[in-house]
Amino acid sequence: MAIPPGVSNRDWQTALQQFVQAVGESGVFTSDEDIGLYRDAYSPLWEEPEERLASAAIAPTTTEQVSEVVRVANRFRIPIFPIATGRNLGYGGSAPNLSGSVVVDLKRMNRVIEVDDRRHFAIVEPGVSYFDLYRHIQDRGLKVWIDCPDPGWGSPLGNALDHGVGYTFGAYRDHFHSHCGLEAVLPNGDVIRTGMGALPGAKTWAEYRYGFGPTVDGLFAQGNVGIVTKMGFHLLPAPEAYQTSVVTVPRRNDIVPLIGLVNELEHAGLIGQPGYGSPLAARRADLEELLKRPGGPPAEDLDRFAQEQKLGSWTCRLQFYGAPAVIAAHIAYAKDRFTRDIPGATFEDGELLRFPLTQEQLDSVRKVAVGIPNLAAFGGRRGSDGHLWFAPVIPKTGEAVLEAQRVFMDVFARRGGPALISPFSMPATWMYRAFVFLMGFPISRSDVTVNQRTRETMREIIKVAAEHGWGEYRAAPAFQDDVMAAYSYNNSALLRLHETIKDAIDPNGIMAAGRSGIWPRHLRGRRA
Amino acid sequence: MVDRRSILKLGAAGVAGALVGMPLPVLGAARAGVSGTLFRAVFDGRFEEAVAFAGELRRRGVVTASAGPDLATLWYGDLQARLRRERAPIAGLTDRATLFCLEELARSVGMRVAFRIDHLIDDRGRVEHDPVGPAAILAAARTLPAESGFGREIAVLASRFDWRQRRDAAALKRTGPFSPENKTALVSWAIA
Repeated sequence: MAIPPGVSNRDWQTALQQFVQAVGESGVFTSDEDIGLYRDAYSPLWEEPEERLASAAIAPTTTEQVSEVVRVANRFRIPIFPIATGRNLGYGGSAPNLSGSVVVDLKRMNRVIEVDDRRHFAIVEPGVSYFDLYRHIQDRGLKVWIDCPDPGWGSPLGNALDHGVGYTFGAYRDHFHSHCGLEAVLPNGDVIRTGMGALPGAKTWAEYRYGFGPTVDGLFAQGNVGIVTKMGFHLLPAPEAYQTSVVTVPRRNDIVPLIGLVNELEHAGLIGQPGYGSPLAARRADLEELLKRPGGPPAEDLDRFAQEQKLGSWTCRLQFYGAPAVIAAHIAYAKDRFTRDIPGATFEDGELLRFPLTQEQLDSVRKVAVGIPNLAAFGGRRGSDGHLWFAPVIPKTGEAVLEAQRVFMDVFARRGGPALISPFSMPATWMYRAFVFLMGFPISRSDVTVNQRTRETMREIIKVAAEHGWGEYRAAPAFQDDVMAAYSYNNSALLRLHETIKDAIDPNGIMAAGRSGIWPRHLRGRRA
Repeated sequence: MVDRRSILKLGAAGVAGALVGMPLPVLGAARAGVSGTLFRAVFDGRFEEAVAFAGELRRRGVVTASAGPDLATLWYGDLQARLRRERAPIAGLTDRATLFCLEELARSVGMRVAFRIDHLIDDRGRVEHDPVGPAAILAAARTLPAESGFGREIAVLASRFDWRQRRDAAALKRTGPFSPENKTALVSWAIA
């Protein structure tokens, strides 16, 4: 059994006894077998000395127990690292930033406190998964939808705190944005509630997020000043129907008006999450010679190929929700706008799906688009043991997409090896007001050189992105210092503010040391 | 790319496997009468070896369940409620993605991988078995056929496994969810 850094064996043994007193023997885990479960399944440091490993895990069942665990940790200056369900694979999983930390595993806090389908909100504990919440809603026939990520085995609370995202409407698929009020245990064991929750007896905790005075909720997201034990969320009223329409545009440069128009439809609330693609991506083998040209393939050559093959250059899947008449009107309006603004635009409408869906419709629908969590994302992939996400935020324009393609392809060309993107790659559209140019770098359980190469490329591409004004919205622990270093405006004033807050709220530096590159004073300036 | 459906025509029928007829003592700590302790046997119906595995365990009275295209159906619709109430061993012969997901999900109910045997199948149908777990499992894996027929033998092994054995932490999180580029990866496993 490992001992947390800076803690004597005697203190450690005493602390373990006090953890047992706080949560019971069945809630304290110290064996290698138990601790092995908390390894990051997609760690880019697997089996290397720098791999981030826990020393123990504690599984409380109530806020009061969490509070007591934190007090014990503070007493003995034991670093702790809270996880909800620990499933943010590609961004760290269930492992801590600082090796030797005690994982505070909140899986046993799994109560759905409340779901209201007249005012459209939910309040949940950290151990509630998207599946749990979905089932709670379905079992009671409540008329609300959740917005879930893919895969959906994580926790709404944990996902929101990691700035996770989903697949329906903008206001809901930014999961932290859709949160409303939280309860948290501070590093001294004190319990706070934010927003209206700070007012005893208020019935509007999950409806009005600001309460009165400064808003502090953001400190707990990707942060390390407390353990969130309850959280409210706004939920989408269950729509009557759903339909897709895929618009295809003929020319490469149509990407600019395409994204501009889709932005307009989305920001006006007419469509849910758009999904971009290129029919040419599947024809890369036929375009090999063109793709090898210095500076990339000329647009007119790609256009000629697309025209000859009767393919478009770009597509966008538009998602419409609401009453059938509303959907029909929105689709008609969208088609009118595209037809007027982009000559040659064509459309392919999906089936109008009315809820509840038939089993056949359920089997074929894109589940996350209609708020149904699933685990199908793991099927059918090959060639690595997992992936590490590189997730830079870029502007929501066609010009920015084409520039990002060029810049990142240059990085891969310079470094050699297979490129993770092509001139046909499109960004992820989870965020409401920005794109994420997502790439999954391979990791290996058996070949350290794969991970070393991935780490080197990640570090380089983070810097290159920053030089172009693109920063990552989320990153695995091994790269959080690099990402935070890129947010360097005014001599890293934001990080300095974070550190000031950290020192004030967590003077012993016990809470999630290093998360988002924010280290406690005694560990500052060195990497875990 | 190798098509695993085309490779895995390794029918179990007619194979007199070494383990199937093996006397109990040879299986190390295996003991009689534990087949009923398996709560579920999970299989991937795309692979004949996995189907044979399920068939053998069904014959021995174990309830089997298909992993299906979305494991969520099995875990959240069947396993989770029972295992949250009371832990009980489950075993399987599946692809890596299924074990990967079940291993992550089982953590939430305090269960973990007790043993696993990876079966890497090349494009000629040759199978390389890579076991991790108690000594009895390592010994048994050495006798598995290098071609078809191992699914049924794994079923026997799982049905006779002594769940009280000390487990090997090396069996935890041994691979990711995906197959290598040039081989089909199946895995036999037990979670308890």
